[in-house]
Amino acid sequence: MPEVYFQQQEQRVVVPSGTTILAAARRAGIIVESPCDGIGTCGKCMVRLVDAAPEHYHCEEAHYQLSTDQLAKSMVLACHTQVLGDLTVLVADTEKQNRSLKIVSGGVGFEYPLDPWITKQFAAGRTKVLAGDQFVGEEDGDTTEKLYGLAMDIGTTTLVAALIDLRSGKELASLSALNPQSLHAQDVITRIHMASKPEGLKLLHDAICDAFNHMIGELCQATRVAAEHIYEVIYSGNTTMLHLACNVNPELLGQFPYTTVMKGGNTLPAGELMISPFGDIYLPPIISAYVGPDITSGVLAGQLEKKPGTTLFIDIGTNGEMILAQDGRLAGTSTAAGPAFEGMNITCGMRAGDGALEFYQIEEDGSTKTHVLGDGEAVGICGSGLLDIIGELVRVGIIGKTGRLIPPAKGKYPDALKASMKEKDGKPVFYVTKNVYITQADIRQVQLAKGAVRAGVEMLMAALGVAPEKVDCVQIAGSFGYHLQESSLLNQGMLPAAFRGKVEFVGNTSQLGARAFLTNWGTRSYMAGLVKNIRDVELSQDPKFQDVFVRALGF
Amino acid sequence: MSKSAEELYEALADAVVDMDEDLVADLAKEAVAAGVDALAAIDQGLARGMERAGKLFEEEEYFVPELLMCSDAVNTGIDILKPHIKMDAAAEKHKVVVGVIEGDTHDIGKNLVKVMLNSANFDVIDAGRDVPPAVFVDTAIQEGASVIMIAALMTTTMDKIGDTIQLIKERGLAGKLRVVIGGAPISPAFAKKVEADAYSVNANAAVRIAREMLSC
Repeated sequence: MPEVYFQQQEQRVVVPSGTTILAAARRAGIIVESPCDGIGTCGKCMVRLVDAAPEHYHCEEAHYQLSTDQLAKSMVLACHTQVLGDLTVLVADTEKQNRSLKIVSGGVGFEYPLDPWITKQFAAGRTKVLAGDQFVGEEDGDTTEKLYGLAMDIGTTTLVAALIDLRSGKELASLSALNPQSLHAQDVITRIHMASKPEGLKLLHDAICDAFNHMIGELCQATRVAAEHIYEVIYSGNTTMLHLACNVNPELLGQFPYTTVMKGGNTLPAGELMISPFGDIYLPPIISAYVGPDITSGVLAGQLEKKPGTTLFIDIGTNGEMILAQDGRLAGTSTAAGPAFEGMNITCGMRAGDGALEFYQIEEDGSTKTHVLGDGEAVGICGSGLLDIIGELVRVGIIGKTGRLIPPAKGKYPDALKASMKEKDGKPVFYVTKNVYITQADIRQVQLAKGAVRAGVEMLMAALGVAPEKVDCVQIAGSFGYHLQESSLLNQGMLPAAFRGKVEFVGNTSQLGARAFLTNWGTRSYMAGLVKNIRDVELSQDPKFQDVFVRALGF
Repeated sequence: MSKSAEELYEALADAVVDMDEDLVADLAKEAVAAGVDALAAIDQGLARGMERAGKLFEEEEYFVPELLMCSDAVNTGIDILKPHIKMDAAAEKHKVVVGVIEGDTHDIGKNLVKVMLNSANFDVIDAGRDVPPAVFVDTAIQEGASVIMIAALMTTTMDKIGDTIQLIKERGLAGKLRVVIGGAPISPAFAKKVEADAYSVNANAAVRIAREMLSC
C-alpha cells in the first residue's frame, strides 16, 4: 500500500490505493481545511505535491478549477486527488492562522436580578450543591465562595466562552476560538450531512468537546479558578450546533420538512465536559430547525418582546436568521444566504484572520481607505470587507444595477479607479488592493446571498403586515455583524433604504443571552413560554418567495 | 419597408436578448401578419435569442433576473405565434422531466432549468420539489420522457439522486431513461460516482445536454 508523507508535520501514513489525500490526512490526524467536506466546490483543501511521479496520483474532475499557475506549482485538491503510489505532500499549517481569528464578544446587555440555577449551602463542615431546589452533590469544607458557570456561544465558525462568577454575575474572563468543526465542514448543511453517519457525528462531536475542554482549561488557568468549581454550562448556538454538541444525529434537520430532534429548554449532565462532577449543561429552547437557541438568546438579550413599536433583529451569517417584533408579537424566519459572507465561494475570500481586508471605503477623489487585520498587506477578503467592497462599488457605479462590472469606457466613476479595473483570464476583475480582487462571479455570489437576506426581510414584514417605513429599529447581531457598516448594507440593497439611520449593531447577543440564562433561572421558564408564541414563517413553502428573491438580486 | 423572414428572426432574437417584451410582441405580430412560418419564427428567432441570453449567463454578463426577463419575452412571443403553427409542421416536442430531489425544497435552480428548456422549445414536465426517486421514474414513464433532470441544493439530499439512478437500473430502464444532475453541491466527480448520464453546470448547459441526448 502507498505511503503519504506530510512533510510540514513530519507525519507518515499508509493508505489503500485510491484513498484521497484528504482522507489520508484525516487518518494521520492532520487537519487539511475542507470547508465543503470534500465535495470539490470550495478549493480550500489545496495542497502541494513535492516531486510526485505522475503515476502516483490521480486527480478527479472537480467543480473547483485550479488556475494554470496553481497547476504549474503542482497544487492539487486534496479531496479529489487519489493516492496511487508514494507521495510527499505539503499542507500549510492552519494552527497559526486560526489563532489570529478576530472576534468581538461584546455587546449591549439588559438588567436582571442575580438568581442562578446553581446555588450552595454550607452546614456542618460540608457544602451542598443545589440545582434549582434539587440537591445534586456535596463538597468537603466551605466552598460557597467558589461558584462559577460558563456561557458558551457555539457559532458555526467561532466559539466564545465566558467564565462567570455566579455569586456576582460578573464575567471573569472570556475567550474565543475557531469552531474546530469548520475545518472538516464549513457550513451547517455540510455538517449535517457529515454527522448523519455515525463516524462523522463522532468526529464533529469529539472535536467540539475537545475545544470546549481546552477553553475551560485556558479560562481556569487565566483566572485561577478550579474547573471543579464550574457547575453549569449554557450552550447557545444554532439548532444544528446544539445537536452536534449534544451528540445527537442531526439528519432530520437537513431534509424537508426540516424537523428538530431536540427541543431545548432542558438540562443535561455535563458528562464529557471537564467541570464539576455535579455539573450540568442547559440548552435554551429551540424555535425551529433554522431559528435556533442562539436567536432565543438574542430575543432574551434584546428584550424584543418588551420593546414598544417594531424591531427587526437579524443575525447575518450562512443562514440569515431574523425575528420581527411588533409590540410584543414575534415572528421569525431564516433564509439560506450561503457561505459567501464567510468568505467561501469568493475567489479571494478568507476568514477574519491575519491578512483579511475587513474595511473598504472609496473617497470622493477615487482614493481608497482600507483596513487589514494583523500586520502587513491584504491577502484576502473576509465577510465584512466583502460587504463593504460591494456596497462601495455599487455606490460609485463600478457595479451596475444588474450586478455587472461596468467597463472603464462606459463607467462614470472616478478616473483613479478605472486603472483598478483589469482583466484576468479574459474576464473583468476589480482590484481592491495590489493583490486582492473581486470577480464578476464573486459579485454574483454576493447577489445570491444578500438577495436571500433581503427576501427574508421582505417576506417576514409581509407576514406581519409591516411596511419598511414602520420599522423603528433594526438590530444586526452576531460577531460578524459587529464589523459591518450601515451604509454597506443599504447601498447594496440587503436592507430596504427606509432603514437608513435605524440600524444598530448589537454584537454577540447569543452570548449575552446565554449569560442571562446562566445567572437568572427565571429566564428559562419565561423564554420557554415565549418561544411557543413566536410565529415560524417558513419561506420555502411560500410561492411568492421566488419572485421576491429574484427582485432582491439587483442593486 | 417590410422585413424579410430572416430579418424578422434576427430582430426577434435581438429583442429577446435585449429583454424587450413589447418589441418581441410587435415583431411576433408582424411575423404573423407577413405570413412567416410561425414555427421557424419560434425556433430561429425566439429560441435562438434565448440561446444567446444563456451564453451571456454562462459568461456572467447576465444573471438570474435578466435570464427570467428574456424568458418572459420568449413566452410572450410563443403565445402570439403558437396558434399560427401549421398543424403538420407541429412535430412532437421532446419531453424532459425536471424536479428537485426528495428532502429538498429549494427549487429556484430547477425553475431556471425549466424556463431555459421551455424557451428552447422542449416539452417540460415539472415533477416539483421534494420528489422521491420512484416518482421521478414513474413520471418519466407515464409521460414518455426519456430524460430526467434532477436538482439538489443541499449536500444532505444529494445522495438520493444515486437512489434514483439505482432504481432505473433495477427496473431495467438503464439506457432508456437518462439522468442529468446539477445544483450547488453537485460536482462532475459526484455525477460520475452515482453514474449519472451527465452533469450540468448551469441552466444553459442543461439545454445543450438535452439537445445532445435527444439529438435535436
